Amino acid sequence: MSLWVDKHRPRDLMKLDYHKDQALRLKNLVQQSDFPHLLVYGPSGAGKKTRIMCLLRELYGSGAERLRQETMHFTTPSNKKIEIMTVSSNYHIEVNPTDVGIHDRVVIMDLVKNVAQTHQIDSSGQREFKVVILNEVDDLTKDAQHALRRTMEKYVTTCRLILIANSISRVIPAIRSRCLTIRVPAPTETEIASVLHAVCKKEGLSLPSELAMRIAKCADRNLRRALLMCESCKVQQYPFTPDQKVPEPDWQIYIRDTASLALSEQSPKKLGEVRQKLYELIIHGIPPDIIFAGLLKELVRNCDMAMKCQVANHAAQFEHRMRLGNKPIFHLEAFVAKFMAIYKKFVEESLGDAF
Amino acid sequence: MQKERKWFKPLFEFNDSSPPKKTKKNNPERKPSTNEKQLKVPIANIPSNINDKNWIKNFDPINVEDLAVHNKKIQEVNEWLKTTCVNSNNDMLFLSGPVGSGKTATIRTIASKYNIKISEWITPLDIEYPSEFGDYEFKESQSKKFLDFIINSANFTSLLDNNSCKLVLVEDFPNAFLRSPSEFIDILQQYKQRAKSPIVFICSDSHTDNKNTAFHLFSPSLKEQFNIHQIMFNSVSVTGLKAALKRAADIISKKYTTTYNVPTVDLIESVVNSSGGDIRSAILNLHFASLKGSVVNLETSIIKEKEVKNKTSRKKNTASNKFMSLGKDQTVSILHGVGRVLNPKEISTPDGRKSLSHAPKDVIEQFLSHPSSFINFLEENYLPHFSCINDVDKAASTLSEGDCMLAEWREKICQEYGLYTAVAGLMIANKSPVSAWNPVRGPKNMRIQYPSLNELPLLEPNYLYKGKVIVTDYLTYTKIIGS
Repeated sequence: MSLWVDKHRPRDLMKLDYHKDQALRLKNLVQQSDFPHLLVYGPSGAGKKTRIMCLLRELYGSGAERLRQETMHFTTPSNKKIEIMTVSSNYHIEVNPTDVGIHDRVVIMDLVKNVAQTHQIDSSGQREFKVVILNEVDDLTKDAQHALRRTMEKYVTTCRLILIANSISRVIPAIRSRCLTIRVPAPTETEIASVLHAVCKKEGLSLPSELAMRIAKCADRNLRRALLMCESCKVQQYPFTPDQKVPEPDWQIYIRDTASLALSEQSPKKLGEVRQKLYELIIHGIPPDIIFAGLLKELVRNCDMAMKCQVANHAAQFEHRMRLGNKPIFHLEAFVAKFMAIYKKFVEESLGDAF
Repeated sequence: MQKERKWFKPLFEFNDSSPPKKTKKNNPERKPSTNEKQLKVPIANIPSNINDKNWIKNFDPINVEDLAVHNKKIQEVNEWLKTTCVNSNNDMLFLSGPVGSGKTATIRTIASKYNIKISEWITPLDIEYPSEFGDYEFKESQSKKFLDFIINSANFTSLLDNNSCKLVLVEDFPNAFLRSPSEFIDILQQYKQRAKSPIVFICSDSHTDNKNTAFHLFSPSLKEQFNIHQIMFNSVSVTGLKAALKRAADIISKKYTTTYNVPTVDLIESVVNSSGGDIRSAILNLHFASLKGSVVNLETSIIKEKEVKNKTSRKKNTASNKFMSLGKDQTVSILHGVGRVLNPKEISTPDGRKSLSHAPKDVIEQFLSHPSSFINFLEENYLPHFSCINDVDKAASTLSEGDCMLAEWREKICQEYGLYTAVAGLMIANKSPVSAWNPVRGPKNMRIQYPSLNELPLLEPNYLYKGKVIVTDYLTYTKIIGS
């Protein structure tokens, strides 16, 4: 049994549910004999990967869908052995270079070199190039991004790169200019709702439109999450009722608890407890920027406008520093401490006014 | 071959105090000092009134009471030696401690008290001589030689010795063991089976983990397996140093007044302060500071020392314990450093201004380990010292700034700035410190553990998932759907 997300993933560019105009343009792009490097970006769950897989199918036919997993080994200049998981077909290879942390540069250089140096055996009726898909390009180290720039130019005849990122603000301009950048915006809530309806229809279920809208709202314009939510709703209760509970991701609940802890008391001791919770979140792999956003949203819920502005300002500042720095926990904690100080002052002043 | 051997031999005959038979026993540490002496004597134009070539031996402890080590430690070593040597079993002892804390001296002195013969392993030089035919002769491996040596010297007495107890001392570990600690385990096993005398290992602590023999070779499991008794030495206390130097001063005034000026109390004091608990360096400094010299370059160095002394004594009046030192720079261990930063002490100067007893600049200068590891320690431990959230806010902000600067690894100076920002921020921010005992905790390991695909059977096997996405989207719902 596979998940709905995977089962009902569109396989053809023309069968996509939204951004149809863009899909048509992509199809035209591929039907030309050649295309440039691509940089596909957009928020999580908008359908970047789906579009790329459709594109590959358009390029190479159904052979691009026969995937296999492989673990590749690399040696860093400091003689450290690293291994990385790749998924590939005969025509393309896909990796998450960020899996190896600071050694991502080696992976990018060696991998692209490997792929680029092997020519297609049977070139009749095939494209002359292979495709390398690199995920999370915005999280690459600067070193790796610069290495990427060189490799892109060098091997342009034998391979095409498709880069995937959430935002291009952290991709160096040199790469941005070498690629055709394609933005995949997040689907609107109505689009999500219609996808949910379509999927439920295929599954032979009837979905009340109120529930579909509620799921779409909860999912934060993330189609993947919406489909997962919908499927777990079905597991929890079927037939659907319009007011049934939509399960939230558990880390969101955890962040809310953390925020309420910070609101309950403003003391170094409480901050210590908050820190433990932040540790938990980070170690479990919740991206720190999501923690920042979640915390801010929960913390300012009860604040007046002036304070909201102040807190958001500090959040932005510390989040920026976090991007520059090494240790997310430092900045998360500094933000919570800052919030506690502001909130405490606010509470004391409002108490003073009351008497 | 014959010729080369002869050419090589005289090097080992410097040391007239050890029996010539055991060439391995020669301590190479002493060679430079003898050479140095030979050089120095003609330049200094001092009539050779030092009888022993090894002048540092003049001050070697003779009786157990002369040791500068804490009495408890001496007792501990004493007990162990007494019980094992009397029973003559093959127990193992492991002494660890900072350099110059008197580990070797303690063992030697106590052994001589009980008339125990010490055979020490010195790793031989790996020089290969080609044979007449031009190829290299077969050499046995270092570890094999080591094993032969320790077992032979543990089991067989020399003809020249009276039949006393024996002890094998290993201070100089063959490099082979650093590369493959498993070999060391094998050798210990052999020793346990075949040898009949106790063996003592001595290891100096070092701050860098990867070169720390004590840490590397003597893992807890190894100690348990071979029942190795460990005694940890601390650096020599100020009183211990003073007593030892006083003894040295006595020896000088009795025997060597021609070579040395009799050191004054002030001089001894400054030597103690500059040695940082290292008895060997203290003796060296004393030697240097009190040498009588008629030649120019020696005199200048004495003046230098006087300046040093003046500085130290002046600084002492202002109740600061940072000394310009002749010998060792003062260093601070990581825990000590954390303590200094998180419990800042304020002292008021005579002109009414307040200043910190350990200025942030001094703390970071004396600090040895990597800035980011120090900051991690600070951030893990600073919270319990604060009572007011406003102070925490300031401290946390500076830590965050510090982290930003530390991230810029391309600029060397940024590391220092980052460290300084964080340290100074933490020291100044805390206006109302909590005074309670807070054990120092090590920083948490922040390695992210993404769930493996095996834990999530619902996911497609041949699809590349991103760790982040698995955690934020799939994890919760696959649990619900799978149940």
